[in-house]
Amino acid sequence: MAPDMHAQPLVGLMLGDATGIGPEIAVKLLSTALAAGDDAPPARLAVVGDARVLELGMRDAGISVPYQIYPRLDQVAWSADHIPVIDLANLDPASVARGEVSPESGRACGDTLKYMIDLALDGQLDGICFAPLNKAALHSGGWHFTDEHQMFAHLTGHTGFFGEMNVIPEFATFRVTSHVALRAALDMITPERIGLALRLAHATLRDMGHEHPRIGVAALNPHCGENGLFGDEEITTIRPTVETLRAEGIDATGPISSDTIFIKAKRGDFDGVVMMYHDQGQIATKLLGFNKGVTVTAGLKTVFTTPAHGTAFDILGQGKADPGALAHAVRLAAMLAGAASRR
Amino acid sequence: MEAPRPRIAITVGDPAGIGPEIARKAADDPRVREVCEPLLYGPPADVAFEPGVLSPDAGQAAYDAVCRAVRDAQDGTVNGIATAPVNKMAFALAGLPWRGHTELLAHLTGSAQVAMMFWSEPLKVVLATVHVPLADVPRLLTRELLDGIITLVARELPRFGLQDPRLALAGLNPHAGEGDLLGGEEGHVLAPAVAAARARGVNIDGPFPGDTVFVRASRGEFDAVIACYHDQGLIPVKLLAFGQAVNVTLGLPIVRTSVDHGTAFDIAGRGVADPSSMIVATLLAARLASTRDAGG
Repeated sequence: MAPDMHAQPLVGLMLGDATGIGPEIAVKLLSTALAAGDDAPPARLAVVGDARVLELGMRDAGISVPYQIYPRLDQVAWSADHIPVIDLANLDPASVARGEVSPESGRACGDTLKYMIDLALDGQLDGICFAPLNKAALHSGGWHFTDEHQMFAHLTGHTGFFGEMNVIPEFATFRVTSHVALRAALDMITPERIGLALRLAHATLRDMGHEHPRIGVAALNPHCGENGLFGDEEITTIRPTVETLRAEGIDATGPISSDTIFIKAKRGDFDGVVMMYHDQGQIATKLLGFNKGVTVTAGLKTVFTTPAHGTAFDILGQGKADPGALAHAVRLAAMLAGAASRR
Repeated sequence: MEAPRPRIAITVGDPAGIGPEIARKAADDPRVREVCEPLLYGPPADVAFEPGVLSPDAGQAAYDAVCRAVRDAQDGTVNGIATAPVNKMAFALAGLPWRGHTELLAHLTGSAQVAMMFWSEPLKVVLATVHVPLADVPRLLTRELLDGIITLVARELPRFGLQDPRLALAGLNPHAGEGDLLGGEEGHVLAPAVAAARARGVNIDGPFPGDTVFVRASRGEFDAVIACYHDQGLIPVKLLAFGQAVNVTLGLPIVRTSVDHGTAFDIAGRGVADPSSMIVATLLAARLASTRDAGG
């Protein structure tokens, strides 16, 4: 780690659902972070969770990582010799069957995230990165939210606009609507929400290091509405909003037909794409290899990042899970938290 | 003995657009000539049309060429048709009621139900709804419409060389409705349509989330995906096969393929139009014509 490490943001790492590959890729990531070098994320990293799950990850990965348990984060002696661990002792991995959905493990994931959020709200953590969760386990473990983003907004007491952001190497996507029925999404596509999503995209992309983010805005209807023949939201809602935000200095372009906007973004025309509804962007990013990407909850007081892939029960315990997306998620959490702390 | 090359009619589309140029370039292309005998269908060479200018005469000429090609395909003079783009406005100026090729071809051949399919090597997609506002899609996506399109796709694909096709239906809502949490159409309309089709012996599965079904199909799990709306199908097709996807009409008694772009009046007559979509459309028409003639 760099000598000025105390200036670096403090990112809490949650090990993910203990029944999946989360602990394994977390250990691989921590091992790389300790080895430092140019690949080390620009952050101080602390594990929050159950030390027994960390041990499990070491067995899965076939790697040993030196760690030290601390009662509190402000007592950590930061060093390149070990990883600090806040041991919540809230899940004995021997008590859950691996490779399947476990309500007990889901409960522990939710409890751990809640604990981390409270640390963040108290100013002790700058960002939160979590290894893959199992959404069904979280739900059956008593955390009843439409998605984890809603859960984070609730637990941080957030009331305004926020959203899921999906990051792949080529570009990032932002959503005007997300996990709602398509019929309901259509009613939510208003100038206000489009404006909020565009502003969030602009601010977040700047935090990611794009000084002048170029943002493409997707159309809603086929052929961009074909001059109103196949729907008029482009004329009445999307284009006027894009023009208003351009006048504010946001480099937004659109509306652009959704069957061409992702081709343009892929070849480098845009840093971000604002999409109108869930499948529009998700079809594109998943085809472009989103499993290597990162999911971010953008717009909350605290930064949350996680790999886009899941718990991968099919390759559990084989030592071959790839920590690449988790490493990218940690790096992104550090970058976004660092930008937030400089404001 | 080597089988004779199929004869493929290439209609030039609106003669004021880029159609005549790309049709000629495609007909001269050695890859095209190797697999078929291309025949150009358009207005006589001595009739001039000003490039880029909308006119009723151009609309009428485009229409006449399509009519001749269809007649020749029906009596076996040609084995398939590849169409360059027509202009909807020119059709309207000429007093022709059809909005495009697909409707006109259904009318000329007396086909009760047709569907638009995008054919590419990595992915084949059929659209359940096409050129309508997205807001109309949930209402249009009825059990009757789905039953019709699933039956049509299951019947037609074997004629295009896909025997016992494995079909998938995409969901309408995020995560295919996630058990009614994110929309009820999957449970009330889509899943029952799939179950009924399976009971009729159709190999179809779904509804699957839109953001995973195309990934699965591109890996070979399904031969074709039925998409609920235009962009749901076109986003993956264009991402995976940009410039290589061909529009094929299902439900016609003849083989018909089309370019995936418009008349491009802005560059007509300048000799700079890219014929690649016309070429792949002609190559596919030749291949489908051979398959249909051989397979019946």
